[in-house]
Amino acid sequence: MTGAVAAVEIDGVTKRFGEVVAVDNVDLAIDDGEFFALLGPSGCGKTTTLRMIAGLDLPTEGSLRIFGEEVGMAPPDLRPVNTVFQAYALFPHMTVRQNIEFGLRMRRVKDPELSQRVAEATGMVRLSGMEDRRPDQLSGGQQQRVALARALVNQPKVLLLDEPLGALDLKLRQEMQQELKALQRTVGITFVFVTHDQEEALAMSERIGVMSEGRLLQVGTPREIYERPASRFVADFIGRTNLLEATVESAGTVRLANGARIEAETSLPAGSEVSVSLRPERARLHPRGTADAEGSSLEGEVRDITYLGHAVVYEVAVGPMSVEVRVEGETGRPFGSGDDVTISWDHGAAAVVAD
Amino acid sequence: MSGNVETGLGPRTRRLLAGWAWVVFAFLYVPIAVLVVFSFNASSRVNIWGGFSFQWYGEALNNEVITSAIRVSLIVAAVSTAVSVVLGTAVALALDRYRFKGRRALDGTIYLPIVIPDITMAVMLLVFFAEAFKFIDSFGPRFTLGISTIALSHIAFNISFVCVVVRARLDQFDRTLEEAARDLYATGWQTFRRVTLPLIMPGIAAGGLLALTLSLDDVVISAFVAGPGSTTLPVYVFSSIRRGVTPELNAISTLMLAASIALVLGSLALQRRRASASQQTQVL
Amino acid sequence: MQPANRTSESTPASGEKAAAQAQRRQGMLLASPGALYLLIFFVAPLALISVYSFATRTSTGRTSLSGWNVESYRAIGDDVIVGIIGRSAWLATLTTALCLAVGYPFAYYLATRPRHVRAILLVLVMIPFWTNGLVRVFAIRFLLGSNGPASALSENLGFGTFRILFTPTAVTIGMVYSFLTFMVLPLYVSLERMDWSLTEAARDLYASGSKAFWKVTLPLTKSGIVAGSVLVFVPSFGSYVVPDILGGAKTLLIGSYIARQFRDARNYPLGAALSVLLIVAMLVAVALNQRSGSGAEGGDRPRRRRRGRARAEPEPAAVS
Repeated sequence: MTGAVAAVEIDGVTKRFGEVVAVDNVDLAIDDGEFFALLGPSGCGKTTTLRMIAGLDLPTEGSLRIFGEEVGMAPPDLRPVNTVFQAYALFPHMTVRQNIEFGLRMRRVKDPELSQRVAEATGMVRLSGMEDRRPDQLSGGQQQRVALARALVNQPKVLLLDEPLGALDLKLRQEMQQELKALQRTVGITFVFVTHDQEEALAMSERIGVMSEGRLLQVGTPREIYERPASRFVADFIGRTNLLEATVESAGTVRLANGARIEAETSLPAGSEVSVSLRPERARLHPRGTADAEGSSLEGEVRDITYLGHAVVYEVAVGPMSVEVRVEGETGRPFGSGDDVTISWDHGAAAVVAD
Repeated sequence: MSGNVETGLGPRTRRLLAGWAWVVFAFLYVPIAVLVVFSFNASSRVNIWGGFSFQWYGEALNNEVITSAIRVSLIVAAVSTAVSVVLGTAVALALDRYRFKGRRALDGTIYLPIVIPDITMAVMLLVFFAEAFKFIDSFGPRFTLGISTIALSHIAFNISFVCVVVRARLDQFDRTLEEAARDLYATGWQTFRRVTLPLIMPGIAAGGLLALTLSLDDVVISAFVAGPGSTTLPVYVFSSIRRGVTPELNAISTLMLAASIALVLGSLALQRRRASASQQTQVL
Repeated sequence: MQPANRTSESTPASGEKAAAQAQRRQGMLLASPGALYLLIFFVAPLALISVYSFATRTSTGRTSLSGWNVESYRAIGDDVIVGIIGRSAWLATLTTALCLAVGYPFAYYLATRPRHVRAILLVLVMIPFWTNGLVRVFAIRFLLGSNGPASALSENLGFGTFRILFTPTAVTIGMVYSFLTFMVLPLYVSLERMDWSLTEAARDLYASGSKAFWKVTLPLTKSGIVAGSVLVFVPSFGSYVVPDILGGAKTLLIGSYIARQFRDARNYPLGAALSVLLIVAMLVAVALNQRSGSGAEGGDRPRRRRRGRARAEPEPAAVS
């Protein structure tokens, strides 16, 4: 991406557990100072990828470099990375302070540097005064902070976070999202975090890598991933979308299964089977015959209405297909079930994705 | 999470561990295996293999003293198990869900027979029976040490073991199940009979099995409270070993071994059918 | 069975009191047969032996209960008896240490196997655990006997016959053989409960493999170590059968010495005093175990709870 050497560079890495291929030939470069998310459903291989960066699992094939240095087979204690574990893995037989200074002690850092760095890290995660408590005397959020401090105190070149917010309740999770982002800006190092929560990934990261069944499907900024999904899976996994089956007719048009012809950019050859991804909030709904001339449109009939307060979601039958349209801040007369409607969207709002 | 880097061991350490595990298994099984093999030895000399034979089993089972000892062992085991299962379960239930006078004293005492070494339990009971008989004899009837004193002694330690095992089961009992039964019109007794008892049954069975095993295993206490002409099989074997090793002893030992293993496998099969893995470790 | 629910007919206040009373009655009723049995056949004998320990041995070997004294307790200070107690304590300590050294790596191996393998290996440990103890000691006696199979094997291999039967070595081997599984099972339980992500965290925080073991795994399995040690130490200290079958005159231990007082020597008061001493020693050992055990538990519990929650989170990829 930039000219500088990548913080983490994964080259053709495969990990097999017996017969099971957990990670399948993944290539990935994560930049220095980047907040990078590995996103995917359970079992997609994202945690295994993270564990290989940490050295907790060793790749079956491929190479792995951290700031240009090959570390693929190095044990975890010889890698300049630290991990915030999924359930934090705080040592229950040690106090907060003992937990935080563990890594420094292992590397034989002595006082006064030791206590100074521990104090800094404790202050950074706002845990000053709790140093002598044991992990089981802390709340979930506090435990999370100890785990962060315990990793960051070592000044790793890359911080790995495995579902760091997974064990917190919703409100705390949203707070911690902001805090983590702020923390990353403060320390300025690369954060790589694993999550199955697409909203979390969109909200927090600078770039996202979407994984499924061991493969890395797409890497891009949250906007790229959301607006221009590279595949049907990515389109479906990130946010809600309508996936309409279609066939490519020419470079600018595709034909939907019901015969309707719509405009959409694609580089795929004519005759390719594709899907058109149309986000519910990017579509507009009009009474039949009143649609604007610009863009594309489909005709249908309202079948179901879900009232959400800030928005209304209409399910519209378009021939054999069903299209979801989300109307935010609805004005004017709402549609009723059975109304004939036209769905329209701007040019470029729909994306063609390969199956 | 199988042992990879996560358990923090290198490949060499893991190979050493695996090797060590098999050495320990060999240590646990080779002596028993050798004993079993030599029980089928046709030769009467214990260190020379003289061909395969059931001869010693025949001789052992034709020995009047041995068959009588087997009979005593089985009767004592059956009686002491039955009595201690009933008494031990009742005590476990009482301790688990009732408050009553003397509860704390009972709670403390119930663990003592488990902790106290066999030999002290044995001499305690020996002295006790001697004094008790002296006292009863003064009224006329004459009691002597024998099968009944063995059974009484076995009950004394088995109540505790049954109680502890059943209580472990009661500990993880979900009381809302009983409330649900009451809500569904069951009376107190019906609730106990239809809900509580079936659910703690695996614990009771495990306790009974433990009592049976301990009764069949006991040497020291039985040796002290047994009378002339009424020894249990382990007591017979114990006193015979002191006189020397004979092929006949190998045969009896193999039979006792087979009985033990049958009991273990039987109990495991029972548990597999009834309880989850976590409860297994709880019971054992 | 459910006295608390019997309140419906009467007024709330008196009903509650009546229910509490009924509960007390029911509890007493349920407990009394067992309690009575223990009172007669355990508490009374225990009291009796304590009384005996203050009695006097007459010249004919009888026990006289008149004239209480602490003579028997004073006799325990005798060099011979102190030697026996010392030897028993030393052998029990040695047995415990050996069981720990042999059992810890063994239990570690068992606990880190995949689930289905673990179940089978555990059965292989359970079998000797439940097998008749006397038979197992006899197996060692048979194997090690001067004309037994081990000796024959060594003779055939040209090492000559060996004589370890009736030595302290034989007794130690027999004790380790008898009580090893008592050590392995609690160790296994604590290791199986071990949260391995903690060792991973240690490795991630620059601990080497062995450092991670000493700093994290070992302290977190302390409860298993303590429980196993008590379970081995207690029966080996009071052991009677093992030294009787495998030991010789030089390995007279306290268990056998007590037995001797009630058989040939007919010095009941001394035997009773030694029994009381043994019981007290065992109770102290068990009480110590419970104190340290409950401390370790306190550290364990919340962690297990959290681990349970973590397991509910998706992402089995790391587990597979």
